[in-house]
Amino acid sequence: MMAIPSLKKETKTQEIKRLPDPPYVLLSLLGYQEPLKPVIASGAHVQKYQLIAQSETHWSIKLHAPISGIANVVEYNGQRYLKITNDFKNDSIVCTPPKVASLNNQDILKVIRDAGIVGSGGAGFPTHIKYDVSDRPITHFIINGAECEPYLSADYALMNQAENHLWKTVQVIQKLLQADQVVLAIEKQHRELKKKMEHQIAQLNINIKIQLLGNDYPQGSELQLIKAVAGKIIPKGSITAHHGVVVSNIGTIAAIANALYLGIPYTERIVTISGEKARTKGNFLLKIGTPISYLLKQMGQDWLPSDHQIILGGPMMGSPIAHSEESISKGTGGVLLLKHLYQKTFNCIQCGYCADVCPQKLMPMEFARHAANDNIDGLQHFNLKSCIECGACAYVCPSDVPLISSILTGKQLIKTK
Amino acid sequence: MNLHPFIKAPRNTTQAIMLDVIVALIPIAMASYLAYGTLALTLLGTAITTAVVTDLLFSGILFGNWKTPLDGTSVITAMLLTFTISPLTPWFVVAFGAAAAILFGKILWGGLGKNRFNPALVGREFMASVFPSILGASSIWATTSFINLPAQDFFTGAANEPVKTYLSSLLYNPSGALGEYSTFLIVLGGLYLTLRKRISWHIPTMLLGVFAISCVVIGDTVNLEYSFAGLLFGTIFMATDMPSSPNNAPGKIYYGAMIGLVTFILVWSGVKFSYLSYSILILNGFSSIISEVFKPNPWGETNNRLQKSEKIALLTIAILGVTFAVIYLHENHALIYVLVVYILYVVLKYASDFRHKLKYPI
Repeated sequence: MMAIPSLKKETKTQEIKRLPDPPYVLLSLLGYQEPLKPVIASGAHVQKYQLIAQSETHWSIKLHAPISGIANVVEYNGQRYLKITNDFKNDSIVCTPPKVASLNNQDILKVIRDAGIVGSGGAGFPTHIKYDVSDRPITHFIINGAECEPYLSADYALMNQAENHLWKTVQVIQKLLQADQVVLAIEKQHRELKKKMEHQIAQLNINIKIQLLGNDYPQGSELQLIKAVAGKIIPKGSITAHHGVVVSNIGTIAAIANALYLGIPYTERIVTISGEKARTKGNFLLKIGTPISYLLKQMGQDWLPSDHQIILGGPMMGSPIAHSEESISKGTGGVLLLKHLYQKTFNCIQCGYCADVCPQKLMPMEFARHAANDNIDGLQHFNLKSCIECGACAYVCPSDVPLISSILTGKQLIKTK
Repeated sequence: MNLHPFIKAPRNTTQAIMLDVIVALIPIAMASYLAYGTLALTLLGTAITTAVVTDLLFSGILFGNWKTPLDGTSVITAMLLTFTISPLTPWFVVAFGAAAAILFGKILWGGLGKNRFNPALVGREFMASVFPSILGASSIWATTSFINLPAQDFFTGAANEPVKTYLSSLLYNPSGALGEYSTFLIVLGGLYLTLRKRISWHIPTMLLGVFAISCVVIGDTVNLEYSFAGLLFGTIFMATDMPSSPNNAPGKIYYGAMIGLVTFILVWSGVKFSYLSYSILILNGFSSIISEVFKPNPWGETNNRLQKSEKIALLTIAILGVTFAVIYLHENHALIYVLVVYILYVVLKYASDFRHKLKYPI
């Protein structure tokens, strides 16, 4: 765990801005564990908020049109998207919010499912399945406001401009889970938010504890967050609800709030645009599916792959785009324009920095050793399976030892054993 | 495709680490220049030149990498080596030591970071074993007549004479090996490295603590002969060497404590000059095992305390066994055979299939 300097301060207090609707959106059909299937014919006209694709097994993920227009299935780099060409008529289906007070638990889960809500943190786990805890006792419902990825301030902007619906939604979920305690966790560097939110919550007479955590990366990682808030050390790979804890990102709560109080499905989210190479920086409310090419145009700059790389998500765990037709997904919290890294690889000098910063208390240098030697026993002996791939080790490694690639190949080796 | 993360810790390359060590050593070099002038500079210059040239040639020929000296480690090795010897050491002995340190201490192990032993100490023992008559002669420590700048009184105003002399000697005291003339500058270097996070408190604190406690426990029954400045220098700059010390905090605590204990046993047994060099080299040999035995408990895993204690006990017995073997060999002037075995080992290791793994970063 360590503090990472970034441009977060430059964007965090900026107001959430809107951009004009894009001429088209690209909605990935990747889904969670299995691809989504379009429920409309290619070339059909779709209304805004209309259901356009879903997964057919129990994950039951749904995708809705963020704009109205003509929908087509297209392919980029072997990945399928639904492309909706905007007719700029803003022709929307009629959204009638449910009467929240009269909903029972199954009704609430159904609202969440039908609004296509998945975790906004990036992993994309379907929220209605996470909240279906049946009769398991839940001691802690933790709302993750610890946006520990450097540069990103989308969650901060959301909490800074929180509306009452957000906190009422928390109350609804707390009742659904029968959670003893609700804790909103934020980082110490954002302590100014605490008073502001506490005041708002007190006026609504809702019981949410706001807890300040350290500024270290990766404080917002689920297991580290649970330890900090609930004091429970949960091994990686187990379902947290089995240990009495449910964690949701604040962005996910905002998406549920839209579904419960406005009747709107998950079709937009707050995204931070930042990075040393970004001409415009700030927090933007964007339609899911907004293409990067459109964002760049709005920012008045071109993508120069020789000069900078574009990252979706945070700089620690995000992924670089391969072409400018990639787009914002439900889990994209940031679009970063970063300069290329100048890698100067040396041998491992056994400095131990990687072990010092590893939040899972592993010895990452050993993964590099054993992955190079195809030594599966060695990888398992050093508990590779507990690695959460947060990238802290590679960030701090002075010799630029290929730690993340060793970890990924190592996990592949174990899988194919 | 590039992998995450897409940012790096600023000013934290391997070269930056090595530069920090050099920065910490420069004041100590200046103290040696104050004390012995060109005598000190000549030895430092000889050692650095030989080490860099050896590194350049052998890394170039064996690894095909002609930029190795740029990592800065050969300069550090040369400086550390020079700081452990008398200013009267002949230049060719120093040149031999520096070359041996780089070749047998680092390159044949596979280069930067892969050495199991501290290269400077390896070079020192090569010198001591190959030139025992030169380095073992008592005349080599008769340096008084060569001193440029004698000990000074830095506290002219103060009244208490013994305290005054003592404090002055901490600042500057031109006796002993080239790196031992200023306790103050050694500590300053240590603090700098600690602040820059290039070393941590674990090894120095445990080493000095265990050594001090052992001295107190055994008491005044024997006359312990050691140099405090030398002990401090080795503690801060040699025992903390990254490649040859454990890479996790609990391991470092044990490692530092054991060097302290072994050093005390050696001093107590009457080993002169080389006590710290031997004890660090002994523990260097166990460093990777210590790293593994003390590997932190992974998140959510339960700790098998009994199994761990058992391993630690066996490890401790092995370390003490080696220590007593070293004392025996030292008393019988037989350590040269250990050196022969060491040379055979590194050469054979290099000649085995090991060299196909040179491209691996670890």
